[in-house]
Amino acid sequence: MSYAILAIVVPAASFLVLALVWPLRHTGRPAAWLSTAAALVSLACAVLALGEAPAMGAPPELLTWPWLVRGGEVIADVGFRLDGVSAPMLVVVTFVAACVQVYSLGYMAEEPPAALGRYYTWHSLFIVAMGGLVIAPNLLQLVAGWELVGLCSYLLIGFYWRKPSAGKAAVKAVWVTRFADIGLMLGLVLLYVQTGGFSWEAQAATSAVAAFLFLGVMGKSAQVPLHVWLPDAMEGPTPVSALLHAATMVAAGVFLVVRCWPLFEHADTLLLAMSWIGAITALVAAVTATVQTDIKKILAYSTCSQLGYMVAGLGSGEMLGGYFHLTTHAFFKALLFLGAGSVIHAVHSNELGDMGGLGRKTRTTMVLFGIGTFALAGLPGLSGFFSKDLLLEQVAHAGQYGPLAILLFVAGLTPFYMMRAWCLAFLGEPSPKAAHAHESPAVMLAPMAALAVLAVGLGYAGGPFGAMVGEPYTFHLTPVGIIATVVGLSGLGLGYAKYGLGKLQGLEVPALAAVVRAAPVDTFWAQAWSRGLLPFAKAIGWFDRYVVDALVNLTGWVAIVAAERARTIQTGRARDYLYAVALGAVVVAAAGTIGGISS
Amino acid sequence: MMGPGLSAYLLVAAAMFGVGLYGVLSRRNLVAIVVSVELMANAANLNLVAFSRFGGHPWGQALALFGLALTVAEVVVGLALVVLAARSHTSLDVDAMSSLKG
Amino acid sequence: MNGFPWLALTVLAPLVAGVALLAVPAQSRGTVRVVSVFSTLVSLVASVKVALAYDLAAGGVQLRESLPLLPSVGIGWELGVDGWGVTLLLLTAITIFAGACATWTLEDRDKDFYILLLVLVAGVFGVFVSLDLFLFFLFYEIAVLPMYLLIAIWGSSKEVKRLGPFAFLWDRLDVGGREYAAMKLTLMLLIGSAAILVGMFAMVQGSGSSSFNMLEIAERGVPESVQLWVFPALWLGFGTLAGVFPFHTWSPDGHASAPTAVSMLHAGVLMKLGAFGVMRVGMVLCPEATVTWAPLVGAVAVINVVYGALGAASQSDLKYIVAYSSVSHMGVVMLGAATLTPEGWNGAVYQMFAHGLMTGLLFALVGLIYGRAHDREIFGMGGFAKVMPGVAVFFTLAGLSSLGMPGFAGFIAEFQVFMGALAAGHWVWALAGIVGAWITAVYVLRATRAIFWGEGPPARFHELSDAKGVEWVALVVLGTCLLVFGLWPRLLLDYIDVGTLQHLAAFGGAS
Repeated sequence: MSYAILAIVVPAASFLVLALVWPLRHTGRPAAWLSTAAALVSLACAVLALGEAPAMGAPPELLTWPWLVRGGEVIADVGFRLDGVSAPMLVVVTFVAACVQVYSLGYMAEEPPAALGRYYTWHSLFIVAMGGLVIAPNLLQLVAGWELVGLCSYLLIGFYWRKPSAGKAAVKAVWVTRFADIGLMLGLVLLYVQTGGFSWEAQAATSAVAAFLFLGVMGKSAQVPLHVWLPDAMEGPTPVSALLHAATMVAAGVFLVVRCWPLFEHADTLLLAMSWIGAITALVAAVTATVQTDIKKILAYSTCSQLGYMVAGLGSGEMLGGYFHLTTHAFFKALLFLGAGSVIHAVHSNELGDMGGLGRKTRTTMVLFGIGTFALAGLPGLSGFFSKDLLLEQVAHAGQYGPLAILLFVAGLTPFYMMRAWCLAFLGEPSPKAAHAHESPAVMLAPMAALAVLAVGLGYAGGPFGAMVGEPYTFHLTPVGIIATVVGLSGLGLGYAKYGLGKLQGLEVPALAAVVRAAPVDTFWAQAWSRGLLPFAKAIGWFDRYVVDALVNLTGWVAIVAAERARTIQTGRARDYLYAVALGAVVVAAAGTIGGISS
Repeated sequence: MMGPGLSAYLLVAAAMFGVGLYGVLSRRNLVAIVVSVELMANAANLNLVAFSRFGGHPWGQALALFGLALTVAEVVVGLALVVLAARSHTSLDVDAMSSLKG
Repeated sequence: MNGFPWLALTVLAPLVAGVALLAVPAQSRGTVRVVSVFSTLVSLVASVKVALAYDLAAGGVQLRESLPLLPSVGIGWELGVDGWGVTLLLLTAITIFAGACATWTLEDRDKDFYILLLVLVAGVFGVFVSLDLFLFFLFYEIAVLPMYLLIAIWGSSKEVKRLGPFAFLWDRLDVGGREYAAMKLTLMLLIGSAAILVGMFAMVQGSGSSSFNMLEIAERGVPESVQLWVFPALWLGFGTLAGVFPFHTWSPDGHASAPTAVSMLHAGVLMKLGAFGVMRVGMVLCPEATVTWAPLVGAVAVINVVYGALGAASQSDLKYIVAYSSVSHMGVVMLGAATLTPEGWNGAVYQMFAHGLMTGLLFALVGLIYGRAHDREIFGMGGFAKVMPGVAVFFTLAGLSSLGMPGFAGFIAEFQVFMGALAAGHWVWALAGIVGAWITAVYVLRATRAIFWGEGPPARFHELSDAKGVEWVALVVLGTCLLVFGLWPRLLLDYIDVGTLQHLAAFGGAS
């Protein structure tokens, strides 16, 4: 347990030092070393914590402090909960974070010192926030961490804050995810109202809680139609995309479902909906990925697609497949992003058109990126194969054949577009920009190699992983797995034939491209803002100023006008006043007389 | 005891008051208004004396004397104001003095 | 009971300093500032001391001070704090200390400004610790009235376009001018005061109490027939100050026209006087009527939350954005109050505290920006993070608290209000609150990006500088408090919870 605490406290200390001691932060490289060292310590601690973590089923290790009270009773804690679900995820987070921080020492080397210090400050904060999310003892802390990783995402997407597009993307990410968090918040509050606490193990919670929580998941894990922020989020530095927008933060949604599995487990209608939403997301994103020309956009849509996979997997009613795919995906997708970063570092462009033929100059990157591609493609023996196989098998087992068919199609599409990216970047004739490319330094290649090792080998850890999570798993090939493998290999083959060998000119993707250009989702949200919310707000603003406030002003105006009328009584002629006096005297006298008579 | 009764005094006083009120309301000359106000004040005094004489209390006559003294003071202040008004306005027409008009 | 009168010290320190400043020549600027800031520091220390001296285990009203003033009519110097009082005393002390620091650079008739500010804050302190209704009202008026002069003399004006069905009103009223804003604010609040005064007397009479002491009135109980009309009077009377729709329109103009420290204090603390009055006087003394009226109170609060947030989203003038956001956030307070649940009330009082700090910080920053750029139109700015990085950091902090980011005090408050709303069975209230928080995220981030991010700044803003000297004190104090009370809510929540338990007892225990 103490290791798990250290895994969070060390980066927290690093963040505090960097945030408060600005002279240190502004030195740049020392700040980066401090943060990276903290990340590495954190990784070591997380691995040690994994070793001592109790598997699911056994009582979790808990250390909590009371946080919120109500009527003299504690209703929420904060603290640490180490168990079979949180421990593996903590390792995933710290591992990828450490790799990315080391990698950034090379990738971000040319940033001004103050900006570099800021970059690493946010990275330290991210480990704390994500770690706090993963190791949360209750849903409230999980949501707190959830929002804080959203904050890190905002800050890191907006790292190049002088670039208008980066600013827009950062703000858009928060707008969309927080829009989804309306549901999350409702779910959280409903959980409290139904159970009097924030435990996901509470029996009294209804499936409505899970349904609301899932709305939040759709935002964070970029499910259609709330996926629009993720491609834009690529405005951030590439290592950030690898860590936040591929491996960990976007997976927080999937993790939430895994973590709150007791809430989701029996919500059958919701699970079915999840399968369909996941499958549709997987399809739409994969189709979109096939026609992108920006290498980061390809990976972003691919992430989106794989998140759809995970959600669909969870929708099968079995948790292991989705969670396993989350962990394997974290490593190979981080590897792919870092590889893309390495390529971008070499040619100073995101566009595939500016690349080509890089294989000769950047051989190591080509190999590592290739490993990532194959792992994602589900090449038998690599990690993606095992997790995808398990996931599809579970969907099949649940009898959800509609989503299964879609997922199988995507299993072919994924290798195709990845092969396209790999071929266009590394094979063929170099573009003018690619002519002066150079291999990245070792400080960037080493973390990629570390990720590559896991991208290859993690699939064989399925047994222990299943034991940890409390759902026994042994690998066995089923018809579904065979079909998926065949489809995947043919996707790879087609991709290589078309983009690597230049054959199959007849196989065009214009039809797909047309679908994508017409993809109404992004436009819909843009319109919802520019034609919906903003004009509505303007109307409210107008109404407030020119109707509500005008009524207040009208009151003032009436008082003024009435006073103007009333003051004409004051003629200024003494005689008029005397008439009034005389009249008054008569009235008083008459009243007195009448009163005297009547009494 | 012979002589006019109470009602005769009251009638005279009422007549004096009426004349005074008419004068105040109808005359435009400031001096005439002051004179009319005096007439009204003295009508009140006459009432006091009359009520006191016919079965009242002697305090009524004392009050009338007090009233006379006040009237004198009033005339002094009033005429002083008239003189000032005449200086600043050149005429004594009250209708012209309407600077308090709202 | 007979210990050192910390409450009196808290209240009187600024008042004494204000009077003492009369004797200081206006030329000696340093003395004026040091005396003012020192007196607010005394209040701050005293209020912290009050918090420490308050016995949480015992609860109830503590640190009583009693001195008969007019025994024949039952008016007395009756001071004492409950859990809520401690919280709001702290808020006021922190905010005024920061406000006095943020005003450090004022040069126009600064002595007069500080005197009025100190008198005003003495009134605010007084309200939070008064047990005597008459004293409560007296302090309330002391807190409200100096605002007129502060805004009319030191405020700023803005041109407002003549539009809408009532455009003919505009010329006549000088809409947008600082005198207009000051007068509107004062008149609206005074109409509210009239309602409060009537309600107060009705409660004293109705309960048959021999004094104006709230504890005695509560003990005797106000007859329900009286409560039924007194509560709305108090709600609208105090509610005007709390920005309750549709009596909130003094707030945008008033806050936009007011000078920095006044906006900080007004939005940060004075609006809380209104909400505190509704809860402490209105709800606690009229429990039966509160139950009857709560659905309406809540419904209006829902309008406040969403309408205020949309209003803020529609503005491009920085001060108006912050002012409308205050309307929205005070709606959250009233929403929590209307739930009549322990969570909701804890959240409401926590929101008073959190919003006080946050909006204080925002107005301090807006003042800094306006004082340097002499412009409030956010879409004409951009890239300010380059020239004023410190301001950018603190603006982001305040904005995050405002949109309910966990780790900041605002989240603790809003979240409990949502819990209370749903616990009371009001789906719409909870949903509206959460949607309001989302709209807040929309306009806060939009404004942050427009001001601080992007290329630039435009050439005319190249010479801007970051915060300087004492101004940092204000920013750091408020920013730190936002984080501390967001990460460790029990520091404050324990006090609030004790107060809530005590006051909810009037409703027959926790409902």
